[in-house]
Amino acid sequence: MNVWSPFPGGGRAQVGRLAPRKPSLAGLTIGVLDNSKPNASVLLHRVAELLAQKTGAAGVRGWRKPGASRPAEMIDDIAKSAHVVLTGSAD
Amino acid sequence: MPAVVLGTDAFLSLAKATSAKHGLPHLAVALVPHPLGGVAPDTARAKADAILDEVLDGLTTDPAPPVSTASAGPTLVESPEDLDAFQVWAMEQEWSDGLPVLPPTEARVAKILGRRAADEAIATLAPLDGRATLHAIAVNAALAGAGPEHLPVIVAAIRAVAKPEFNLNAIQCTTHPCTPLVIVNGPIAARLGVAGGPNALGNGHRANAVIGRAVRLVLQNVGGARPGREDRATLGHPGKFSYCLAENEAQSPWEPLHVERGFPRDASTVTVCGSEGPHNVNDHGSMAAETLMAAIAGTAATTGSNNIYLAGDPLVMLGPEHAQTIASSGWSKAEFKRRFWEAARVPLERFSADNVARFMTIHPERFEGTGPDTLLPFASRPEDVMVIVAGGPGKHSAIVPTFGATRSVTERVEG
Repeated sequence: MNVWSPFPGGGRAQVGRLAPRKPSLAGLTIGVLDNSKPNASVLLHRVAELLAQKTGAAGVRGWRKPGASRPAEMIDDIAKSAHVVLTGSAD
Repeated sequence: MPAVVLGTDAFLSLAKATSAKHGLPHLAVALVPHPLGGVAPDTARAKADAILDEVLDGLTTDPAPPVSTASAGPTLVESPEDLDAFQVWAMEQEWSDGLPVLPPTEARVAKILGRRAADEAIATLAPLDGRATLHAIAVNAALAGAGPEHLPVIVAAIRAVAKPEFNLNAIQCTTHPCTPLVIVNGPIAARLGVAGGPNALGNGHRANAVIGRAVRLVLQNVGGARPGREDRATLGHPGKFSYCLAENEAQSPWEPLHVERGFPRDASTVTVCGSEGPHNVNDHGSMAAETLMAAIAGTAATTGSNNIYLAGDPLVMLGPEHAQTIASSGWSKAEFKRRFWEAARVPLERFSADNVARFMTIHPERFEGTGPDTLLPFASRPEDVMVIVAGGPGKHSAIVPTFGATRSVTERVEG
């Protein structure tokens, strides 16, 4: 028996290109976008701090979304003010 | 700019689905052991060392681009003829909700579609940005056992959940137990037999069952919220199989929901709310609005509720007898909302200190200057409280909390 698949046909996102990675983090600003989940800020900032120590990055700058289910309205500001960014997904 | 996503191992599937949706399935995701929430900050901090090299690698090494997997239009596939074998097969294909589904054959789907344009785009559905064409909706309606007459209501509900204020991505992916509750108003309810009387939220009504079920299957299959994967519900709730009823307009002492929202009384509408299951309000004693409010507001004002945390527009579903008691005291629907909003509050002292500390972090503006006696309301404003009349004889009503960071949406049923 032939049946229609219930999945959407076509229109799925095409594969995009990631921003070119940096050869090294030395002298760069590491951005942190906290998604407001419990301890997300603690883990993200600890990773950023350790990375900065290890690589000679210039510093760490943080932003916080008002809630995990809210869009990151500060995304342009992050792009202007940092060179790389760490963020969190879900819990 | 180069980015790396941090998450816990329990939520990898959601992080991967989200990055793939944005066309970046090769984005680096660094995982620490679940959980991060509910542990001391030192414990969370200690998880950083193990992922440091992985994060650095993700920021400094270009990954190989993956191959695009976008498929063409609707696909016909070969399935077992035998209905029992079809159930096992449908589960393997991840098409089903677990209850028996009917095969979406070419003939059945064509019958549901009738003369409508199959390729008409109705909505794009989160989390995977699936295109909900009329055809895709009809295929899921066929799986759910719906008929052609149910399609306009299902389509209106899909249009409604895709509105930005509904926040479908969060509703689909949250750990909170919520799903669209579909409320049908207007003449189409009687025409299709959508029940709003006795046991309206229970079993025994085909239209309620198949409309709610078809909406859920569209969300699962077209939106791509697979249970335990993109759909991260910790427990979920039984309404995720089907959650649909009509307002009992004939027995309401007030204007029905769609009229309140600016539609003519003879228009047919669906309203979707990102809802928890119903929490019952039993009060066989109170004979006036003022006294009945103790039970109604008391059932709403509980410490674990998302609406206390996040406000939103929670629903009070009044049984016709309770509604009559309230109206007999001279209260309009607006007056009921105002009195309920004043009464349904939880003092801050009833929450744990850890929980209060988290509120302060997430909503500093809302909790500034608060103390143990501060009362937290169930919604930000009286008019945010939704009220409908539903059910049959009996002294019961229900509180239906929502996800909070979502707004109900009403859409006209076309055709």
